[in-house]
Amino acid sequence: MTQRITIDPITRLEGHGKIEIFLDDEGDVANTYFQIPELRGFERFCVGRPVEEMPLLTNRICGVCPEAHHMAAAKAADAAYQVDPPSAAKKLRELLYMAFYCTDHTTHFYALGGPDFVMGPDAPVAERNILGVIHKVGLDVGRQVIQMRKYGHEVIEIIGGRKVHPCTAIPGGLTKGITEEQRVEIEKKGRWAIDFAQFSLKLFADVVLNNPDYLELVIGDIYTHETYYMGMVDENNHINFYDGKIRVVDPNGEEYVKYEPHEYLDHIAEHVEPWTYLKFPYLKNIGWKGFVDGKDSGIYMTTPLSRLNASDGMATPLAQAEYEKFYETLGGKPVHQRLATHWARLIELLYAAEHWVELATDPEITSTDIHTVPTATPTEGIGIVEAPRGTLTHHYKTDENGVLTDVNLIVGTTNNYAPISMSIHKAASSLIKKGTVVTEGLLNMVEMAFRSYDPCFGCATHSLPGQMPMEVTIRDADGKKVQVLKQYC
Amino acid sequence: MTKTLIIGLGNPILGDDGIGWAAADALKEKGVRGEIIRLSLGGLSLMEHISGYERVILIDAIQTGQHPIGTVRVFPLTDLRNPFSGHSASAHDTSLLTALDTGRRLDIPLPTNKNITIVAIEAENVYDFSEDLSPFIAAAVPVTVEKVLTLL
Repeated sequence: MTQRITIDPITRLEGHGKIEIFLDDEGDVANTYFQIPELRGFERFCVGRPVEEMPLLTNRICGVCPEAHHMAAAKAADAAYQVDPPSAAKKLRELLYMAFYCTDHTTHFYALGGPDFVMGPDAPVAERNILGVIHKVGLDVGRQVIQMRKYGHEVIEIIGGRKVHPCTAIPGGLTKGITEEQRVEIEKKGRWAIDFAQFSLKLFADVVLNNPDYLELVIGDIYTHETYYMGMVDENNHINFYDGKIRVVDPNGEEYVKYEPHEYLDHIAEHVEPWTYLKFPYLKNIGWKGFVDGKDSGIYMTTPLSRLNASDGMATPLAQAEYEKFYETLGGKPVHQRLATHWARLIELLYAAEHWVELATDPEITSTDIHTVPTATPTEGIGIVEAPRGTLTHHYKTDENGVLTDVNLIVGTTNNYAPISMSIHKAASSLIKKGTVVTEGLLNMVEMAFRSYDPCFGCATHSLPGQMPMEVTIRDADGKKVQVLKQYC
Repeated sequence: MTKTLIIGLGNPILGDDGIGWAAADALKEKGVRGEIIRLSLGGLSLMEHISGYERVILIDAIQTGQHPIGTVRVFPLTDLRNPFSGHSASAHDTSLLTALDTGRRLDIPLPTNKNITIVAIEAENVYDFSEDLSPFIAAAVPVTVEKVLTLL
């Protein structure tokens, strides 16, 4: 007879999953399952629609990263129409994308990931949120977070037409460009974003790196896994969020493969488990060997940490300096410690801000040559971008009228389903032993295992519950409740 | 005059989750004066959108399992027992209540929680992608509109 602990990041409405922890007779962890109540039928829903609708339709999948879907869909539609957008259009799309990255990474660090460190993993749940962070590190930090979000949304609106759910990317480019006046405004905001990113990295150093307990938590074994790492890179093997080839390095940091987006099916396959609707992508040519670490297991990860691991560096100078510091501090490449993802995310924030300014000062950025009219008969297209939560693939097939006949999406977090499951299992097994009283703090440490990935399974606008309100039920061998813990904050 | 914002919240392509948008559209068609917007946001983003207003009416689907499908209920945000229900929270930042507290702490002008009214429609099918509302939810649209009108 086994005991069962359920961590249920609740309920309704939440595309979010729940964690089931099964204990053995000794009271140790026997097994864990991270289940996803997936939203159903999006790919099917798209079939029969014109492919050029996809940049609008797919950004309704998600209220958190519509910009990522907008871009991946526009790129897949470009490919389906066999049209190459003018260089200024690509740069404008990328500029919008940098503003989005700054907004998204900032929000994750200050509202979700940061509170565990700023307030401490054991802090009362009512304080472990953005309000607690502001209380502890100052009102000015809070104002800057809101300012960063505001600037990001304003730039998204200037280029994308709307603050959320942008609508200007179409097959062949964009529906509108920017004026010199707007460019000046965007550049000014980007320069501010660089300062903010540097400030955030300093805050991380002060709070986490200079605290031996936290540093130990980051580099300790509980949150460590050795897997393959994936990320998009440019021609210099530097990280690129918008365009490039997909590079995968093995657990030793050696390049395993580098491929073009349209070759993804040669390298990625999906494993099915009976206990969940969501599939587990893995490296096809290594094979699925179960939820195990190592070079012989096809499990790979796509997160800010994996992007750093899969690249040879950052394309901008300040971020490159931080990249070097990151690997010096953590003992070289690759870094396997999942909690280091929070640091990696801030390095990406700095890169995004720097690249924002680079693009905003590009002489071509105010060009009016922003659309190439598609003339070919659409067929099939694959578009890949790096979403903040991982590599995002859109794959469309159409008939000769451009009407979709097949749609396949691999969203950022889906790539990480296996690594997240492994991280939860390891954290739970390490923390819950025979006789352990499962406290709120301990539960939070299990939660931290998946929070570093910022999982986005629900992926619909469905904004769902807040800080993972959790209900944990511990049952004895007869299935009787012996302990119930609830966290609402 | 009190500055009021009416928000239809939800995902227009996720079945009954689209009721917030449908109700907002119906209110616009009725020529209701005042600002009516449709959003698919929660947490900090939702808080940012309501800054500057004295009063907010949030129309959203809800799943409590305690009311017949299509039931329309009106209550202040302060009565929302589970602060995570509906779209008011975001899994990627924080709950609306915490977001509002955060905003007030930062001197962002926001309505009081008492002046944020939830109009919640009990829904069932919010997991399957569809642009159509199920019959009970579609029938709840005019009821929702009437309830919102009594609040103005």
